[in-house]
Amino acid sequence: MTRNRLYLLLGFGLFAGYVWLTWSWLQTENHQTFTPCLFKNTTGIACPSCGSTRSVLLLSHGNFRDALLLNPLGIIMGLIILIAPFWLLYDIAFKKDTIYTSYHKAENFIKIKWVAITLIILVLINWAWNIQKGL
Amino acid sequence: MDSQKVDMYLMANAKFFQSSQIPFIRERLLAMDESKWAYIQAVDLKDPTTLIIVSVLAGGFGIDRFLIGDTGLGVAKLLTCGGLGIWTIVDWFLIMDLTKQKNIEKLNAYL
Repeated sequence: MTRNRLYLLLGFGLFAGYVWLTWSWLQTENHQTFTPCLFKNTTGIACPSCGSTRSVLLLSHGNFRDALLLNPLGIIMGLIILIAPFWLLYDIAFKKDTIYTSYHKAENFIKIKWVAITLIILVLINWAWNIQKGL
Repeated sequence: MDSQKVDMYLMANAKFFQSSQIPFIRERLLAMDESKWAYIQAVDLKDPTTLIIVSVLAGGFGIDRFLIGDTGLGVAKLLTCGGLGIWTIVDWFLIMDLTKQKNIEKLNAYL
């Protein structure tokens, strides 16, 4: 993947993320529930990242503890969606490729066997917790 | 390399590559040194048919992206519940061509 392609994807992803957050924020104001999750809609069981939107919304209200209890992945996503736009703008404005190099470093780090195994186990535990919470 | 050997390789492995790439691969294989044959055979090619099945069944978790080596995008897909389900559906149509692209990239290291 080239630098520009990654930045385009990241920019589009962030834009979609903010649109989705705004929309779901308006939706919770109207007390409606809708999930686009294919897995949950077909099986009725929560998927590993179910509840992360609610978690990010809780985080935006400063409710850190509830966000962590709902889905810890929401904290990671909240950090990404908060920091990435500024990082992206910095890279584009100064014509640098710090995100691109960090992306490759992170990718190679995750590919190390024991790191991958740890992460997979963590995601599975979180998934089991999600199902147990009945998200 | 021996043309019979090359044709045999292409016949057995044609499904792993885009059909437009086959003449190029054939040309490069014919021009290649015999000593690289073992490396060419050892290249780990992913089957596009397997990937489309994985994509349909576990695309929402990004497993298809992990398998073709796009670890970063796989994590993104896993965290966003398959890109809110939209990315999952888009990938059902993209994943076979992507797999073939990754295969030619792997082979290109030796061609």
